[in-house]
Amino acid sequence: MKLLIKQGVIVNPDFKKRADILIENSQISRIEENISEQGADKIISAEGKFIFPGFIDLHTHLRTPGREDEEDLLSGSLSATKGGFTTLLSMPNTIPPIDNYEIALRIRKEAEKIGLVDIYPVGAITKNREGKEISEFGFLAEAGCLAVSDDGFPLKETSLLRRALEYAENFNLLVISHCEDLSLSGGGLIRESPLSAEWGIPSVPEISETVDLVRQIEVARYLNSRVHFAHISSKRSAELIKRAKEEGINITAETCPHYFTFSLKEIEESGFSPLYKVNPPLGREEDKLALKEALKEGVIDVIATDHAPHTYLEKEVDFKSAEFGMIGLEFALPLSLGLVREGFLSLEDLTCRLSYRPAQILNLKDRGYIKEGLRADLTIVDTEREQLITKENIFSKSKNTPLLGKVLKGEVVYTIYKGKIVYSSSR
Amino acid sequence: MGEWQRKHLLGLKDLSREEIEVILNSAQAFKEVSEREVKKVPALRGKTVVNLFFEPSTRTKTSFELAAKRLSADVVNFSSSGSSLFKGETILDTLKNIEAYSVDIFVLRHSVSGVAFYLSQRTTSSVVNAGDGQNEHPTQALLDMFTVREKLGSLENLKVAIIGDIYHSRVARSNIWGFSKFSSSVYVCAPKTLIPKYFDNLPCKITYSLKTALSQAQVVIMLRIQKERMKERFFSSQREYVKYYSLNEENLKFLPPEALVLHPGPVNWDIEIASSLKEKVSNLILEQVSNGLAVRMAVLYLLAEKRSYEVID
Repeated sequence: MKLLIKQGVIVNPDFKKRADILIENSQISRIEENISEQGADKIISAEGKFIFPGFIDLHTHLRTPGREDEEDLLSGSLSATKGGFTTLLSMPNTIPPIDNYEIALRIRKEAEKIGLVDIYPVGAITKNREGKEISEFGFLAEAGCLAVSDDGFPLKETSLLRRALEYAENFNLLVISHCEDLSLSGGGLIRESPLSAEWGIPSVPEISETVDLVRQIEVARYLNSRVHFAHISSKRSAELIKRAKEEGINITAETCPHYFTFSLKEIEESGFSPLYKVNPPLGREEDKLALKEALKEGVIDVIATDHAPHTYLEKEVDFKSAEFGMIGLEFALPLSLGLVREGFLSLEDLTCRLSYRPAQILNLKDRGYIKEGLRADLTIVDTEREQLITKENIFSKSKNTPLLGKVLKGEVVYTIYKGKIVYSSSR
Repeated sequence: MGEWQRKHLLGLKDLSREEIEVILNSAQAFKEVSEREVKKVPALRGKTVVNLFFEPSTRTKTSFELAAKRLSADVVNFSSSGSSLFKGETILDTLKNIEAYSVDIFVLRHSVSGVAFYLSQRTTSSVVNAGDGQNEHPTQALLDMFTVREKLGSLENLKVAIIGDIYHSRVARSNIWGFSKFSSSVYVCAPKTLIPKYFDNLPCKITYSLKTALSQAQVVIMLRIQKERMKERFFSSQREYVKYYSLNEENLKFLPPEALVLHPGPVNWDIEIASSLKEKVSNLILEQVSNGLAVRMAVLYLLAEKRSYEVID
């Protein structure tokens, strides 16, 4: 099978150029200005389109096993392909948690059978995600895990955090850390702010994230270990990460499209729609701006979705009863393109945040860049095409997004995974 | 006199001074009704009022129920404590189900701030906020203002002190919005732990000293303090709270003699207010209760009237 992509603009982290791409046996075999159509089994015209290395999401919740009513590996895979993602990490806050070899392997195998996107289960740092004993990192790595996390929970005990970082290094696992001081955040629903004071809403102070971040940075510095920080949501956190990186501490960080797209303003204007309820909670306008700057400067390395599917009933309740989280796989590209249009990022930067840096962080050398010999994971994008978001055109099982009814600019037209077209926009 | 134009009463934050005056003037008329031999008027005949209470309440619910009945409305009480999710029904479903009976006005009480606003945007009925979380309790503040206006003749340029658990109080927030519309200065007073950060964004002055709050105040609103707040580390002990924030004979001397002492009830005697002051303050606190009925009749009446105009339009 030979797939030829004609006349698209390749967007690598360091340059853009118009070229043809020939794919053979799931690999990129040739990139040249003009490749003859002869012998190609299928030709895609990418005239006027941009070709990115397939997007890599460091943070999704595919709810498998245990909550397949919210999302399963198939619906999650379909949602990923529509969003242009070809590799993703699936968090272990499942029932039961992904804390052992058998569950991790089962997810990896089932996802392989579906074959639409490379799904790596994230192992739980502690058994049953209880924050007590460390899981079998070696076995988890053998089952295909690239990272471990107790996502949703911080490791409260600092000695445990230390041991987890040390033990993970043994097996070359990435530790993904959630920063939250539960004694400060407990019961909070939105960021502590003039809005929370005015409406008397239980709130989470900014220091819930930053106090824990500082603690974890210190442990990483002391051990000279590497930590990746999940879903950074505040300006102050970005400043602290910047300072730590300047000191040479081995940390990386992600933020999510909702943190640079929404703020307390949307919560207020929507009349406290639970669709805006996420953890950590949305920040102020100045946090949004600072996160955009941090993505521009590379202080924050990665855009991850924190795709968090929930059933209708779990979100269409009052703000307090509603679950935290919104779906994100299908909107990451158009929302991130917003940063390009606003002048914060170049298209090359976008490749960096959505493909290249995530691949580096996961130490996946066969993807995240477009060149001959690498895996043919490609996302072809029409940056100008507009799409109306409706429940009907969302591939995820869950529809919990405040973007319903909105028009977004920029759409994936083809997703190519291991040389196969796994998604093409039907329009 | 202005006309009432709103479909809902969600809080005093968004009301103008004129709109508050319309309610208070109307309440004045209804107070007279309650003093008659026959206490019922046919103003809401054929209208349906549903008390939708998702949080335990006896006083407010009784007051609204009686207000609706004295206006000749059909009244139904729906109470549900605990999460609606638990029953497999969303709060919006609950509302829509009852709305299908052609309800004119929902009187809504819920433990979460903002729910009244959220539901008001999703229903064709009118919504009266009877307390949403820690946000607002507009009819309580209106009855406080009604009581003050009746006693002092005006709401203009007063010094109003609100003492106690500001952090968790929807009564405090509604009173701050309400009194500040009349160029009155509102002081809130509590230990710093019981005043949220960023509270200086509201139109009030913050003080931690009871003496500062009480000095030259014409109105003092004492708020109920719950003992659970100690476990939550908002203050350390009852005796310490009482020493610094209780109203007693000693600190009463900072107040001008004509000053009014209000309390939304029920009072924890010897915590918020010394029991030795019971005789001095009880009459007014009970008057607040009866004024509450008049205010709620006025609110239901104005919302129902507005609905009738809309139908004609």
